[in-house]
Amino acid sequence: MISIIRGIGWVTAAGAGRGGDYNVFSVKDGDLPDIDHRKIINSRSHSRFGRMDRFSKLGITAISLALKDAELDEWEKKRPIGIIASTVNGCLDTDLAYFDTVIPKGGSLASPGLFAYTLSNSFLGEASICFGLTGCGFVINDQHLTGLKGLRMALDSLDLGESKTLVAGVCDLGSNDIMENSEKVLPCAVFLVIDRTSKDYRGSYGEIMVDEQGSVCFNGTEIEDIFNLVKMCLQ
Amino acid sequence: MEGRRVKIDPVWITDAATVTSLGEDLNEVWNGLLKGETGIRPVQRFSVQNYTSNLAACIEDLRQKGGRSMLHDLLERLFSSLDRVPQDCFVITATAKSGIDNLERLRRGLPVDTQDILPSSMPRIIARRLGLKSDGINISAACASSTVAIGQGAAMIASGRVNSVLICCFDLVTEYIFSGFSSLLAMSPEPCRPFDRDRKGLTLGEGAAALLLMSPDKARESGRSNLGKVLGWAVSNDAFHITAPAKDGSGLTEAAKQALKRSGLLNREITAICAHGTGTQHNDYMELNAFHEVMGDTQVPIFSVKGAIGHTVGAAGGIEVALCLESLKHQMVPPTIGLINPEKGAEGFLSNKPVRINGNYILKTSSGFGGVNAALILGRQKVS
Repeated sequence: MISIIRGIGWVTAAGAGRGGDYNVFSVKDGDLPDIDHRKIINSRSHSRFGRMDRFSKLGITAISLALKDAELDEWEKKRPIGIIASTVNGCLDTDLAYFDTVIPKGGSLASPGLFAYTLSNSFLGEASICFGLTGCGFVINDQHLTGLKGLRMALDSLDLGESKTLVAGVCDLGSNDIMENSEKVLPCAVFLVIDRTSKDYRGSYGEIMVDEQGSVCFNGTEIEDIFNLVKMCLQ
Repeated sequence: MEGRRVKIDPVWITDAATVTSLGEDLNEVWNGLLKGETGIRPVQRFSVQNYTSNLAACIEDLRQKGGRSMLHDLLERLFSSLDRVPQDCFVITATAKSGIDNLERLRRGLPVDTQDILPSSMPRIIARRLGLKSDGINISAACASSTVAIGQGAAMIASGRVNSVLICCFDLVTEYIFSGFSSLLAMSPEPCRPFDRDRKGLTLGEGAAALLLMSPDKARESGRSNLGKVLGWAVSNDAFHITAPAKDGSGLTEAAKQALKRSGLLNREITAICAHGTGTQHNDYMELNAFHEVMGDTQVPIFSVKGAIGHTVGAAGGIEVALCLESLKHQMVPPTIGLINPEKGAEGFLSNKPVRINGNYILKTSSGFGGVNAALILGRQKVS
């Protein structure tokens, strides 16, 4: 059994895309693009999209592109596909916005609509609803946005037979001004659809594995981070 | 349930420590539970006049010092009852809101250490405090965070990636969290009553737990005792709603069945169930549906500790796993405090008195926002 990358989707300040449509990928500082979500995410998601916070919208858009790239975005029956997402800042913007509704009037104006998005895993719940995904779902809060620890956990989960297909990646709105002395984090969401398969899946980007030293390797070459991995996939 | 057995090597839990409103070490909390005590009291920490409840299970003398979150005081108390951990162990922290009290102070114009606000900062803070080599990660899965973390820690050991993992989970009662649950109308105006027909919602609590997981070889080599075992784990999603569980319990059922399958056990081998049992209408109803589906005709005691220590959010699963170890050791399940008139389907399964058990395995479940469900199968210390 091997693990293969079957789909790639991203939103960065350089633009949004999926592996099947592009061969250029980059992450840079700046504003994330305004995206017409109706052109990207499936029709079931439209009604929910407007109420989501920015962090959730970013993550769902990239997950949608990755699933579309893997031809898994349309569905009739719920599927045991899991999501593991890594982030540094998580939903910090929403945390701040929520508490700004608490301060005036001694909490009597606290917004339940915002509070529902003050967990960095809330967007995984939204993605699960939009795409009928019933597998595992959790967020890894890491100091660095490499995505490697999440990829390692995803590959271990596939190896242990916990899942056959997982969506793994990173999602972050970028550094927030309130965080002093923190490492710069670029705004982006990048997700991969990874399959455990007994054969070489036609149309896959290549094989991904964890070697004996614990390094994540793509087609036998150690990767530095998920961004480097996507570039290798698109070469 | 008959199913293919996919047994893997068990992972040992060699050390366990807890701090809750019932006490600052595991024995104290366990003994308080058996006596039917509760840490739920009127909140003094902040004004609650505009909220739907005035109650929580707080650690009354917890203090914020300088610009640091109250978490540091909580963690120092936790570490005071934790033996030295191996320097090469991987740390997984689990929290829903980390030091969110510092975000409150920041927004009110007070000087704070903003690093305490982010869950991603906590593994490094703890690794440095304990002299660990690895920076680790935090796992965020709402109220199932620490249950998921324990499963992932066990998976890391089972896959041979590491041979020891420290799970460290914590959450505070702050106005931020309190106001949020109040705005969702999820809090009970009276102390919560898990699985009771007249339950009116949850009561928040605060606390922390540390659990050291080890491969059996590493544990023997380092002379650690075996307090219990993690035999199975699984995580699922309802794909239904982000703040309400699927009423039929299908997501939790799937997680529990997968955890059982991984443990190589059958449902009839389970001795008791430690439920999430928050006291909200939807959660408890959903859990009862799931437990009946998973257990079939097998009747075992079910319990919830949230009437005693409140809902400790991301720390709940870790604290409850530590209490499950005590339960297996003493062959007793603690009372479900607040239960008077059991919900339909709960009659005969839950009690407000301690109940003797005779067996080796507990099913522990947690569920949370985002539709997440997590299940663990825990084994008694001397069972192979």
